[in-house]
Parts: sequence; C-alpha cells; structure tokens
Amino acid sequence: MSRKTRIGKTSRRAALLTALILGIGLVACSENEPPEKQVIVLGFDGMDYLYTQRLMEEGRMPNFSRVAETGGFGPLATAVPPQSPVAWSNFITGMDSGGHGIFDFVHRDPDSMQPYMSTSRTEGEEKSLKVGKYKFPLVGAEFKLLRHGTPFWELLEEHGVESHIYRIPANYPPSGLASRELSGMGTPDILGTPGTFSFYTSDIFVNERQMSGGAIYALDFWENRAEGRLHGPENIYLRRRQTLSTDFTLHVDPEAPVAKLVVGDEERILAVGEWSDWVPIEFEMIPTQTLPAMGRFYLRSLKPEVELYVSPLQVDPMNPAFPISTPPSFAEELARRTGRFYTQGMPEDTKTLTGDVFTREEFLAQAKITGDEILKQYEHVLDDFDAGLLFYYFGNLDLICHMMFRATDPAHPAYDPERDPEYLKIVEGIYEAFDKIVGYTLDNMPENAKLIVMSDHGFSSWRRAFHLNNWLIENDYMVLKNPAKVGGTNIYSNVDWSRTRAYGLGLNGLFINVADRESNGIVPASERDALIAEISEKLLAEIDPQTGEPAVTKMYKLEDTYSGEYLGLGPDLQVGYNKGTRCSFESAIGDLTDEVISDNHSEWSGDHCMDHTKVPGILLTTDELARPAKSLKELGGSVLAEFGIDWTETATGG
Amino acid sequence: MTWINSALRAVFDAALAPFSGLPEMAGLTLVSLICAIGMLWVFKRTSNQNALAAVKSRIHAGLFEIRLFNDNLPAIFRAQTQILKANAKYLWHSLPPLLWIIVPFVFIVAQLQFHYGYRGLQPGDSVLLTVRLSEDADALTVEGKPRAALELPAGLEAEAGPVWAPALREMSWRIGAREPGDYSPVITFEGDRLEKSVRVVDEITRLSPHRVAKGFVAELVYPAEAPFDSEQGIESVEISYPDREVNFFGWRTHWMVAFFILTIVFAFLLRKPMGVTI
Repeated sequence: MSRKTRIGKTSRRAALLTALILGIGLVACSENEPPEKQVIVLGFDGMDYLYTQRLMEEGRMPNFSRVAETGGFGPLATAVPPQSPVAWSNFITGMDSGGHGIFDFVHRDPDSMQPYMSTSRTEGEEKSLKVGKYKFPLVGAEFKLLRHGTPFWELLEEHGVESHIYRIPANYPPSGLASRELSGMGTPDILGTPGTFSFYTSDIFVNERQMSGGAIYALDFWENRAEGRLHGPENIYLRRRQTLSTDFTLHVDPEAPVAKLVVGDEERILAVGEWSDWVPIEFEMIPTQTLPAMGRFYLRSLKPEVELYVSPLQVDPMNPAFPISTPPSFAEELARRTGRFYTQGMPEDTKTLTGDVFTREEFLAQAKITGDEILKQYEHVLDDFDAGLLFYYFGNLDLICHMMFRATDPAHPAYDPERDPEYLKIVEGIYEAFDKIVGYTLDNMPENAKLIVMSDHGFSSWRRAFHLNNWLIENDYMVLKNPAKVGGTNIYSNVDWSRTRAYGLGLNGLFINVADRESNGIVPASERDALIAEISEKLLAEIDPQTGEPAVTKMYKLEDTYSGEYLGLGPDLQVGYNKGTRCSFESAIGDLTDEVISDNHSEWSGDHCMDHTKVPGILLTTDELARPAKSLKELGGSVLAEFGIDWTETATGG
Repeated sequence: MTWINSALRAVFDAALAPFSGLPEMAGLTLVSLICAIGMLWVFKRTSNQNALAAVKSRIHAGLFEIRLFNDNLPAIFRAQTQILKANAKYLWHSLPPLLWIIVPFVFIVAQLQFHYGYRGLQPGDSVLLTVRLSEDADALTVEGKPRAALELPAGLEAEAGPVWAPALREMSWRIGAREPGDYSPVITFEGDRLEKSVRVVDEITRLSPHRVAKGFVAELVYPAEAPFDSEQGIESVEISYPDREVNFFGWRTHWMVAFFILTIVFAFLLRKPMGVTI
C-alpha cells in the first residue's frame, strides 16, 4: 500500500469521525435550543370593531370568540386620516404620516398643482438611443416606493428572523427587505393605473368612451365573429407616442349561447355568464421584445348584443413586467404552485358597479374570484410556514363593504327595502367567512405560534357626501374663473388661483394656497395659521341641514397632528367628517358640483374616511402581547417585541 | 409514413417507459447520450476523417500564427484568410455526415416532442377539444352548424360548447379532466365516428395534441397518434395540452434546448474515446 493511499484512508476516517462528533453535537445542541418563534399576523382590511363585536355576541363568529376567550379582543386606533395607505404605513413603520410621508391616496405637486399617487412612482429613463422610428432606453424604468421609514420586518431580518410579508398595502414596489414579499394595494395594472377594465359591446348606439376605472369600446361584428382590440400602455420603444395593442376575436356560435375567444395563441370557450381563467397576453413592442400581461374575460351576453368584459390587464406573475415580489422569482414560484392570480393591488373591480357596467351579482362574482385566489394562496403559504413572521393581507371585506354597506343601514338614502335586505347577508357573510379563515389558521398553524388578527380601520354607512371645494367656494376661500361652469372640468382648470386661499384634494385633505409654496400661492405664510383656525372653526360649525348633525367633528392641523421630516407633503388640515358623512368623489379629485352636501346615491355606499375616532379597527390575539398595542402605530413594535426586539429607537411612534 | 410512425412510437414508448416516473432529465440524458454516440458513429463512417483532421490542423495553425505574429498585420490577414478557407472546407467535409444525421434526427425529435413537449392533463384542468374540418367539407357546413356530437367517457366532462366557428371551420368543446386515466372520447360527425386519445396523467408519456388525417406532411409533423381516414371531411382533432418545461440544472426551459446542449456535450466528451474527428 502506498503512502498516498494510507494518508487518503486516514483522512477519510478522520473526516467521518469529525462528522459523527459534530453530528452528535448538533443533535445534542438542538435538544437544548428553544423552539423557533412563530407569529402569524392576519390583516383584515376594513374589519369594523363594533360590527365584529355584535356578530361575536350573536354567536356568528365562533372562532373570533374562541380566540378572544383565551387571548384578547378590542378596538385598535386607526390613522389620521383613516385611509388604508396611511393606516398600513403607520403599522409598517411605527410612525405617523409626517414620518413615513403618506397622507392620503393622492398627494399634490405644489408646482403643477396636479395630484399623483402617494405610495409609488415609476420614472422612465430619458436617455435613449434613437434609431429611425425607434428609441432604445439606455437604462430601465425605475420603480420607486414613496413610503419612507424602516419597515418592522427589516429589524426582524437584521435579527435573523425570517419575515414573509404578503400583499401588505403601501409596499409597492416591494421593499426587498423581507425574506418573501408579494406587493398588494398600490400595485398597478399593466397600464400603470389602479385598475382599468375594458368593456366591449356590439351595440352601435354606445359611444366609445373612457370612464372612471374603465373604458367602453365598440366591437366590429359580422358573420358570427366579433373583433376587438386590447389596449396596453405606451410603447416605450417608439419615438412617436403610440399605445400598444393586440387583437382578439370572439367566434360566436350561430345557435348556442357560447363563443370561442382567440387571443394570440390562446383559445378559450365561454358560455354566456361565464368567466375565463387567466389568459396570457403579449403586446409586441418591437420584433424582438414583447410586454407580457394577462386578463380575465367575462362573456356578459351574446344576444341581442355581444358584451364582453375584460379585467384590468395585470402584471403576469409568470413573467412580471414590474417588480411585484421579493425575491423577484417568488411571484412566478407562487403562480406555478397555485395558478396565475390577480397582481393588481385592489383587484375587486368596484368601478364596474359604480359605472353601471356590472350588476351587484356580477360584481360579487368577480370579488369571489379574487377572494378565492387569495385564500388558496394563503393555504399554501401557511402550509409552508414554520418559523419567523407570516403576515397575510385580505382586502376582500373592505371592498365588498364599500359596495354593499347600505344593506346594513335602512336610513341610507339609496336603501332599497325590497332588494337590499338580501345583500345584508353578503356583508355579514363575509365577516363569517373571515371568521372561518381564523378557524382554518388555528387548525393549521404551528402548535405554539401566536396569532394576531388586526384591521386597519372600521366601517360606516356613507349617507351624505360633503363637497369640500363647493363649501370653500361658498365661504369665499375658493374663487372660480367662470362661476357658471361646474362639474366635469379638469382638475382645478376653472379655479382662479390669484383669488383662491384654500382648496381640497384627496379624501380628507385641505390645503392653504400659501405664497412661495404653491405655484400660484397668495396666502402669506404669516397668515396661514390664522386662516387654518378660521376654516377649522367654520367647518366644525357646519351643520348638515338634512340631519341637523355637524358635518365635521374634528379638524387636524398638520403640525399639531404629525411629526417627522415629510410634513411638507401633507395637507394643512385633515378634515374629520362625522360618521356617515364623507368627502364627495368629485371634491376628492378637485372637481366641483352645484351643492355643498348631498345624499350619496353611489353604489359605493360604505366608507371609513371620516373622523378616525369613529371608525376603529380590531385587534384579536391568541395570547397577551409581549408589548400591548392600542393603535396601528404601536402594533409593529408589538410584533417585534414578540421576538424580543425593541423598536423605540427607530420609530418615532413606537 | 403511417407504418414508420407506428414502429417509432412502439420503439420510443418502450425505450422511455422506464423513465416515465422520473424527472424529465433522466430520460433526456440517456437519449442524448445514445444520440451523441450514434451521431459520432455516423460521422466517423460517412465523413473523410483525414481531410477533417487536416482542415482542423490548418485552422489551429492559423490561430497560432495570429498569436505569434500579432505585430505583423500582413501575416495576420494571411492567417485569417487561411482560417476562413479552412472553415469553408470544414463545412464542406461535414456536409455528408450532417445529411445522414438530419433525417433520423427529425424522426427522433418528432417522437421526443410528444413525450417531453407537453404535460399530461391533471384532474381539475380544462382544455379545448377542437375538430377542424377540411376545406372540402364546406358543403356540409355552409347552411349552419354541422351536426357533431361528443361522447365522453367517465373521467372527462363536457364543460361548455360546442362552439361552431364558421370562419375557422372549427367545432370546439371545453372539456374538464376529472380522474386520471387514458381516455378515447368519440366525436360523431355526419354519421362517422372518430376517436381521439386524451390522457389525464402525471407521468411522462406520449401525448398526442393533434390527431390528423392521413397525409405525408401531416403525419411527419404529428406522428404521436395513428392518422384517420381523410375521407371523413375532418382535417384534425386537437387537444390543447399545456406545454411542458424541463428543469435543466435549475433552469426551466424547453426540452429541446436541454437535449441539444447535452447531445453536443456528450459528443465532445466521447469523440476521443470513439476516435472520431469532428
């Protein structure tokens, strides 16, 4: 035997022995190690404290009651204003809007006086190589998360605790700081909007038009065949502005209520009243580049007219055009396991109902599809979860309550005593469904895991619409160029800024037109405080003539309410509307009507953007929290405390 | 063509059957290895090996010349011209074996496509079953919907349809897979009965997305199922099986990419042991 062979055998024996010793050591160590901590946080957007409490008392939420008996159940103070992006940002960062910089769904640019989405921005690269009719961007688009502050999961990861954050609002693009993330509310559709559906009809009397959250298009129909065009975003590879599009054909059976849909290489058969699964769609940008997307099709009718709904075209998780997950491959991994899914932030298509495109049943059918997808994914991720933090968000309750809440309120101006009572079952049914999610979690979560169920705000019937900008006109704070022209105008196009001292934008925001701050500001900075006090006093004194109740119960001055370095983004005042009253849709986007307070006849009949003290959320825990929380701002710190991490140094509100 | 396909189906079914429950790469690796060996053997037998070796030597000499005389431009140009000429000769000498190889490769690729190119249906899947009529069947259809019916065995379920699309001359049904199994739904069309295989299966097996009418080109492209008599007025019957991707060292790709890479790698590894100049 050569020396080399002997050494080789000796080395192998030594290695085996070492491995054996190490192995025994590891086994021995593992027996003494404490089990890894597991915390599950379920975020139920819009679950109302009083409503939940009542259903629990009636025995209709047995799993909630079961948890409350051993742990705790109570109200959770929401954000000012109680809007989802603001509230979830409070939870994520432990700070208020001054710290994280989210004051509303929309912010305003004081230079252009135009609103923009508050939570994210996509910036295209201007530098490009131009060749003929094409231009080739030299750097890709940048997707920016505008929420500031340290998300609590960043600290978890720094302490070696894995965090899995699914669909939390105000986290698009994903922070990239958690082990796993899937973006939620704030994730745009492929057009870059919060969701723009398309509705195709062969009715020659319907004009093609854009509407809030959607567009109506004509279908060319002949010889049992209807042809339409799906519309994508602008083609970034062309020097002249041109939107991307791709054709589809609907072959209608001459005898049966059924049609064959052909989009590119994809074919589906749809009966009338049926939804397709996700259909992958490709927009050709240049011969070698395509933009992947996907959509669901709903064949509404074939006779007397062909009517086809196409969902907002989504980022395809199998091939995401935008960043929607951490790591980037995770969205595809999830889609491979559970099938393609809605990636748009708020997938329940409420605009179909407010725009009279869908009936309530059709809206609910679409909402069920979204809810089922999210629930199916939850079952998978819960099954995979074994240690660290799992946060999972459910938005179904919030959006269904927005559309159905009048069924809970016979005093609502749009309440239909004949038809609405049946929809009460829908609202209560979704609370019961969420109770089942809690039950499922209790039955399937790791044995010693702690469960925290929370919501970002509560809910109320929305009976009266307050037109803040009309109120400002009536009280001489806003002046119009043409007083006879109201409604349907571009944002502020009719406002005479040289004589306007205040304006409303967003669902709760009121801005002072401050000189040297706003592009056409006229109010000297020295007079701002006095004007804020004057407007606050008058708004608090405003009585709704129909109810005899105050329309506004609280006014929140910017610097008295928030702290942090982003105060400059916020409105000078946040209006805390009385329960039952909310800013009108028109006023929220800077439009005008011809009255100050009106009945809300919109299908959007429930809301929460009111005085935040009137619409608290819920907090339900299986055990007492290591660090109790009374508000959303404190809850992130409570989650950290479960893992023994202190957050007081980084979060102002912790 | 029909009997060739029939024989090839039997051979490939038998050869790949042991790998049906294994990851795709198991069978593909073996097939790539056999193909590489076969390719080298053909190359050795049908090419002028001495000429190829000489041409390769000339290419190497040219490359060395460029390295050695990198400060002498005329010498570099001469060497490059020599390399180009030698490359052209190399291609010329490679042509005969390539012509010998290409025909069996077409058959092999066609067979493999129907084992590795598609995924079997899973319970819960919905797919389209489409009957495409031939142009000479127009007389049967211009007056409206053809009288076609679908008989589905238990395990499959009709979900929607049929839709008659006159512009496409296609009749389509949406069928749902309920239970695993090999099925033969029957389409009756103007009195004729036609079967189409449908497989609800998890393992790798031969799947036939198209059953076509007899004809050289159609059978060459779709050899996975016996053709039917073209006198029935039907051009093809199709099942939209989902595409399959293979896991090639963590990279999900089309089987053909993995197959060609592996075949080339094996050919290079085995060329010396087999004494082949390529």
